Amino acid sequence: MADLRIDLAGIKSPNPFWLASAPPTNSGYQVQRAFEAGWGGAVWKTLGEPILNVSSRFAAVSFNGQRVAGFNNIELITDRPLEINLNEILETKKRFPNHAIIASLMVEPQQEKWHEIVKKVEAVGVDGLELNFGCPHGMAERGMGSASGQVPELVEKQTYWVKEVARTPVIVKLTPNITDITMTAEAAVRGGADAVSMINTINSLAGVDLDTWNTVPHVGGKGAHGGYCGPAVKPIALNMVAECARNPLVNVPISGIGGISNWQDAAEFMLMGATGVQVCTAAMHHGFSIVEDMIDGLNNYLDDKGIASVMDLVGQSVQRYSNWGDLDLNYNIVAQINNDVCINCNKCHIACEDTSHQCIDLYTESGRPMLKVREQDCVGCNLCAIVCPVDGAISMIEKKSTIPPMTWNERQSLISNFTR
Amino acid sequence: MSDHLLSLDEMKQVDGYLASGFKIHSVHENLSGMFVEFKRQEEDVCLQILTAEARKYLAAKLLEQTQ
Repeated sequence: MADLRIDLAGIKSPNPFWLASAPPTNSGYQVQRAFEAGWGGAVWKTLGEPILNVSSRFAAVSFNGQRVAGFNNIELITDRPLEINLNEILETKKRFPNHAIIASLMVEPQQEKWHEIVKKVEAVGVDGLELNFGCPHGMAERGMGSASGQVPELVEKQTYWVKEVARTPVIVKLTPNITDITMTAEAAVRGGADAVSMINTINSLAGVDLDTWNTVPHVGGKGAHGGYCGPAVKPIALNMVAECARNPLVNVPISGIGGISNWQDAAEFMLMGATGVQVCTAAMHHGFSIVEDMIDGLNNYLDDKGIASVMDLVGQSVQRYSNWGDLDLNYNIVAQINNDVCINCNKCHIACEDTSHQCIDLYTESGRPMLKVREQDCVGCNLCAIVCPVDGAISMIEKKSTIPPMTWNERQSLISNFTR
Repeated sequence: MSDHLLSLDEMKQVDGYLASGFKIHSVHENLSGMFVEFKRQEEDVCLQILTAEARKYLAAKLLEQTQ
């Protein structure tokens, strides 16, 4: 049994699976049930001046039969008074002293407002704070959430104000609705953040109803942009985590968020630099009990790999993530088709012929339809293997190059000496 | 549309010039591809390279020449 405990900037939890600040962490009742189910931590639904919500609030994007490939919400922060939330945090912390409770906070960008809420929240014994600089809807129209989080100076200044009075670790939650998330991550670090978390949700409109022409969701015939999350955003989130993890100026732990739905997703985020992960959509889709499979799966993976502690995963793949200009131009892979497994659906041929490099030939052998890759024309794009519906029918094989490795940057440097 | 034969032909031309004593003197790249000037004493020739594989190959030959 591997050690699944994590220590994220001094916040300790029995496993790396935290519930993200969102509807699942709205109340003590929910967070306590989550802890009973096995979640290691919870970031309490954002505290601030109680808001008013609209109805309806959620929408999902299903794709080819997969329910909730993406999830869209226009719900805001807590609509309950601070004192009620604090009483429930106190009660929950008493029942679960070894689980991590992090208070997500959002107030107007004023020093005294940050000081006031930090002191009140820390007084009930939270393990850490998460500053919500990411909420993309509603709160942003009032100068909070992503409106603050898109301006590095505001991120730095507000983090600094919090750190003036905070006694627990401060995590700054970043918005993905920005061109380069490392800019705001660096600002958070300059402000004194003990950790950063990412990503909050992405500005989105889930759809338009083709019968009524209303937005999805709509509020009495009107819509507004929401925040997008769920499995569809995972690659975007993973890249942002990786970009921060390999940035020497973002030298604080990262809490990874964005489409994490199973233990494999969690392990990927940790390999790419996250010390722990936060989950929301998967819990909203399947319930708190999904954490059981996450814990078992991660534990088995670590045991199979002979890794004693999950903390030993953190950042192991970061050094493998680089810039395009540092990739070897002369590394070659080609597709190989196993005709014993191939079902001759011809999707690979169609994809290659129509949209890639026209290197998969159809032919007949002993009356049987066959497919063959012309390796000399294959650029190793992977498209045929991606569209193939049969495991093992197409393999991408490394072909030793006849010329030495050379990156684009090395090539350009070399050529620059010959541009007379 | 296979570029393979064209790239083989371009690489063969590069090898041919180098084998006959020419050295790569200058390289220019623009919208039309790569233009390589080979020199052998007072003699020079220019080769336009169109294919990506041959442009990679030329860079490898350039590296060889500098080593």
